[in-house]
Amino acid sequence: MYQFLLTSRYLTSRIIPVLAVAAVALCVALVIIVVSVMTGFLDMVRDSGRTLMGDVVISYPVTGIPYYEDLMLELDELPEVVASAPLVETIGVLRMPYPRGATKEPKMVQIWGIDPARFDKVTAYEDTLMWPEVPDAASYHVLRDEQYGPVVETLDDAQRIAILRASLSNTTEVSTDSQVLDLGSALTGPEWNEHLRYVLLTNTGVLRDILEPDQIDALQRAISVEQQRDTAENTDLLPTSMAMERNGTPGIVSGIHVSDANYRDRQGQYQIRADGFWWLPRFEGALTTVPVDASGGTLEPETMIMPFINEFSSGVYSVDEIRVMIPIHVAQQMMHLDEAEIVDEFDPLKVVATEPARATMVIVRGQDGIDVNQLRDKVSQAYQRFTSRMAEAHPDSPQPPIEGVNLGLNILTWEEQNAAFIGPVEKERALMRTLFSIVYIVCAALVLAIFWAIVYEKTRDIGILRSIGASRPGIVWIFLLYGLVVGVIGAFIGLLLGWLVTRNVNSIHDMLAEPPLWLGWSFAAVTLLILLWTIIRSFSGRILPVVLGVMGTCILGAMTGLIFFLDAQGGVVIWDPAVYYFTEVPNNIDWPNAITTMIGAVIFSLVGAAIPAARAADIDPVKALRYE
Amino acid sequence: MSEFTNTPLLEADSLHKTYQMGAVNVPVLRGSSMQLHQGEWVTVLGSSGSGKSTLLHLLGGLDTPDPGCGEVRYMGKSISSHGRRSRNRYRNREVGFVFQFYHLLPELTVIENALLPGLVGSGIRTDRQRALELLEAFGLNHRLNHRPRELSGGERQRVAIARALVNRPKVLLADEPTGNLDEQTGQEILDLLRKEHQAGLSIVMVTHDQKIAALADRVVVLNRGQVEETVSQASSAFSY
Ligand SMILES: Nc1ncnc2c1ncn2[C@@H]1O[C@H](COP(=O)(O)OP(=O)(O)O)[C@@H](O)[C@H]1O
Ligand SMILES: [Mg+2]
Repeated sequence: MYQFLLTSRYLTSRIIPVLAVAAVALCVALVIIVVSVMTGFLDMVRDSGRTLMGDVVISYPVTGIPYYEDLMLELDELPEVVASAPLVETIGVLRMPYPRGATKEPKMVQIWGIDPARFDKVTAYEDTLMWPEVPDAASYHVLRDEQYGPVVETLDDAQRIAILRASLSNTTEVSTDSQVLDLGSALTGPEWNEHLRYVLLTNTGVLRDILEPDQIDALQRAISVEQQRDTAENTDLLPTSMAMERNGTPGIVSGIHVSDANYRDRQGQYQIRADGFWWLPRFEGALTTVPVDASGGTLEPETMIMPFINEFSSGVYSVDEIRVMIPIHVAQQMMHLDEAEIVDEFDPLKVVATEPARATMVIVRGQDGIDVNQLRDKVSQAYQRFTSRMAEAHPDSPQPPIEGVNLGLNILTWEEQNAAFIGPVEKERALMRTLFSIVYIVCAALVLAIFWAIVYEKTRDIGILRSIGASRPGIVWIFLLYGLVVGVIGAFIGLLLGWLVTRNVNSIHDMLAEPPLWLGWSFAAVTLLILLWTIIRSFSGRILPVVLGVMGTCILGAMTGLIFFLDAQGGVVIWDPAVYYFTEVPNNIDWPNAITTMIGAVIFSLVGAAIPAARAADIDPVKALRYE
Repeated sequence: MSEFTNTPLLEADSLHKTYQMGAVNVPVLRGSSMQLHQGEWVTVLGSSGSGKSTLLHLLGGLDTPDPGCGEVRYMGKSISSHGRRSRNRYRNREVGFVFQFYHLLPELTVIENALLPGLVGSGIRTDRQRALELLEAFGLNHRLNHRPRELSGGERQRVAIARALVNRPKVLLADEPTGNLDEQTGQEILDLLRKEHQAGLSIVMVTHDQKIAALADRVVVLNRGQVEETVSQASSAFSY
């Protein structure tokens, strides 16, 4: 077929089809990149919802569900259920260990009391734990804690007052002993270690008067350790499992953004402020919450001082900045949701009833690939069986809430639970799709315009072909083939481009955040070369090279300027985790969308080619031949 | 003249062609009639703008006369009665066009241009041998893979003639084939056409140049949209 010959020649001997291919490729790449990131974002929201709370959530806030262990037995009998876990959720205030001194920063937190082993079976809890080992930055301070901590623990009040007076001479000179002691009681363990070390290094003589001989011995051992090694060796600071306690004391596992001392650097790595000093697992925090009694009234606040055991990073900023996890039995105690005996008002030794322990949530994980709505219905039925069984088994005890009666009780899929968050994202994605269908139209218009130009340029050829007997459909085929090839090549280049950008979106983003100077300098060099070339070419008297040269110089110069400007500004962070909830830009290609986009591009290219092609075929061959 | 009593190969029968220039009708052909017999070379002489090209386009089925105003007959049958398919076929197989401005496809090489009518007519089956023979006969065998822009005017016109002849048409329709060439190159082209004519090709050539008209068996003059026979040359030239 002569159409193949002509199409291939038209494609390879002109610049204009390159423009058409580029236009199609850019449109395809644009749609693929934007929709992939949006889809990735939504998928991350959905997935995180799932990894954070399983597939189905039964929740009855504040008062909680009694006999939840029975409920879980009932749930675990369902073949669709893989695991379930109880939770106690409440809010509270966490007194952070920072800043130095007597005044510490309180922080509003969401408290999740969990049973780590069971919680991990429903969510991916263990994978979210932040510190498998002591980070290098904190290692030095951990070693100091190791050295001085044991000595500080043996100090009595008088010694503490003396040490504080010695290390904070100007502020404590005028204070009374009790004021100094008050100040000291607000200090954290690591801060005490610092004061002791400070006095040791600056005023050893004073220390000899303050300390007992065995304490001095201990200190000397500490110093020799300090001389032997610089970084902490294997410490049992971090639990090897998901255990939430240190030396038998239950502790806190806090979200990575709860502590203001953690920040995410431009490479996306977590760093600890002040040279690792504020690495949280060295410290303790005071967690306060307000329990509620059976009638819904509040009781006296409960406070627990607990060590930080670890931190977790769920990848969802809004969770990581507010949630702290503690062992479920501690949460139950603090919330007065633990098992208790109810005694007779007049005879406290007479136990009237036992109040069962409660959980405010039970989260359920279904089999992989299960329909969550179906699972929710199954869970709901299991819950009904549970309530009727409890009514029989414990007729005199408080009963679990009943669906439809106790309005606070919700049995929801994770999608429904996160609807407030997923909904807007879904809407945003729909909006994006709509907006980007306009990009398709622009793409089609562009292809149409380019093909119009191509056909216009080929009018005389069309006349010639007609004069040697080519039919009108034969002419149409040339340009349809042309459109097909441009569409297909453009779509694949667009896919490649979109794929490259999407896969590397995080490095591109990091580059924007921290523009590499070598790139700036190479741009500057190329700009200079083009400028030189332009000046040399301008002597030839021809206009086009000069126009192109000036344009190239301007564009590359602007790029160079932009890079250095960004650098001077300290870069731009478009995907701010505080805004976008996630710490990384999604970088997975949305394949169904990519393939649809490519097919769309081919169709639009064909449509764009068909109109000028039909027009071309209809040109009166005689008129076409007169075209010059 | 007895041999002309049978049906002419190609015949224009009182053709009318009117062009619309805005609101004004411009009649170009007003009942032009002419005949071309098998093996004959007819030159149509006319001043510039007299409608020579228009006549040739009508003869070649590239254009149609005003509706109901005359017809073109090829071997006795009206070419407009055949329908589009056979009109395309007619242009592809039965006639070959040669234009003043060569009208080669710039993206194709010499050999590809020459092969094109074969490709258009029969898909992938081409008479490559025929194209090569023609190009060789026209002294272009060292130019086969060149693009038209790399050729001189004379060479281009020879490629155009090769293209016109590749499908072995019975009639060659030449529209001022030398009009864009210098005298000597033009003469070479005319010599080439004469050789083909002697090999049996029927030719209609239009020109405004009195001198080159002399080659023909018969010269007719296009004047005010009508063809006038110039009897003098017709009998003398057509003697073999
Ligand atoms: N498509 C057209 N529309 C209007 N006028 C035309 C068109 N084609 C040709 N003409 C006019 O018809 C006349 C004859 O043209 P043409 O056949 O090319 O003459 P020739 O080949 O003898 O120079 C000219 O006056 C020309 O301007
Ligand atoms: Mg003309």
